[in-house]
Amino acid sequence: MTDELPQRIAKMVAQLTVVKVENIKPEHRLREDLGLDSVCSMELLSMLAEELDLDVPMEEAAQVSTVAGAVEMARKHLAMKTAAA
Amino acid sequence: MTRPQVLVLGAGGFLGLNTVHAALANDLVPRCGRRTRGNVLGLRGLGVPLAVTDFERPETLVEAMRGVDVVIHAAAHYPKFSHAPEETIARGLAELNVVLDAAATSGVKRFVFVSSTATVAPRTDGRASNEDDRYATEPRFGTYHRLKWALERRLAEERRFGVVIANPSACVGPYDWKVGTSSLLVATARGLRPPHPEGRISLVDARDVGLALVKLATLDEAPARLVLSGHDYDAHALLETIATRYGQPPPPAPLNAEAARVLADAQEAEAAATKGRAMLPRELVDLIVHAPALDTSLAHALGLRFRALTETLDAWDTWAMRMGILPPPRTQVSA
Repeated sequence: MTDELPQRIAKMVAQLTVVKVENIKPEHRLREDLGLDSVCSMELLSMLAEELDLDVPMEEAAQVSTVAGAVEMARKHLAMKTAAA
Repeated sequence: MTRPQVLVLGAGGFLGLNTVHAALANDLVPRCGRRTRGNVLGLRGLGVPLAVTDFERPETLVEAMRGVDVVIHAAAHYPKFSHAPEETIARGLAELNVVLDAAATSGVKRFVFVSSTATVAPRTDGRASNEDDRYATEPRFGTYHRLKWALERRLAEERRFGVVIANPSACVGPYDWKVGTSSLLVATARGLRPPHPEGRISLVDARDVGLALVKLATLDEAPARLVLSGHDYDAHALLETIATRYGQPPPPAPLNAEAARVLADAQEAEAAATKGRAMLPRELVDLIVHAPALDTSLAHALGLRFRALTETLDAWDTWAMRMGILPPPRTQVSA
């Protein structure tokens, strides 16, 4: 599942912006490059947490600033979830 | 009302989250209404039941309100800009009507609406204004003021269930992601020296508003209207206090009302074009210029208390720094 994460997150970003999925890169910054303000960024990370059923603290989500950061956050919590299962 | 089933609309938002925390602190587990695409990270960690409440799909509201005694509506339309008053008011009324109709269909008994002190009119006798002081006719200024007035007028016509209107002043506290009414405080704490008008700012701790909304949901007999405000401040003096607290330069001299309105309108026009936000929103100018002194005797008579500014700022900046909204402390001093 984790190999699909970048694509899934790119699709979510595309839902919230006018940027096409194929143009979304891991290094893109959520605010400066993709035009997501702080509210939309948190919505994106909330959508991600819900889709993957992850409990992500708001403080941690607030530190995510790039697409790659969102992927990393999701991978970390998926691993924690797997370890706890 | 003994242990009512409560639905909080806008539960993932600023006041919503503070209300949910207040409910849980009072052993009340509310159902939490959320938009399909809202930020619910703060709710997921609380283990509270979530329900989709999409104003464009009334059936979701009816379903979410099934078995609910009290709806706390903390999700009324909040315009980002002030340049389209008629459109803003029409949208706000349409959304409110959808929610009210759903509440009636679902047999809701009480509807607690989060309004604003924007509808509390200044008195002409020099005394502080209370719940009895309303604008008799629609205010002639400010989209935000006109919207809130129109929503309260609609609520006054409601006969299908009890309606309680809460009128909080400018809310400050944790979970303020959108940085609405606190935008001048954030800008000052960041050293941006925001332009601001002469006038008054009334502040209230968002946690106290949450507790008050829960009280209004659970009282056997709730008042029709309740002003919620901690303290009144001269706007410029408050910003000076904030600048000192965060070790920043003092704010610029205040603008007169007309200059502030012109500047705010220009900033909003620019922000709308760039999908950004105005440092000085027109709504804030109108709130500061037209703010009455507030009498909160009724809230105190109901047993509600309002925290001191220092306590509010301590909680707010702790949260805002963790979230990266405010920079880490450098030379903070006590307010």
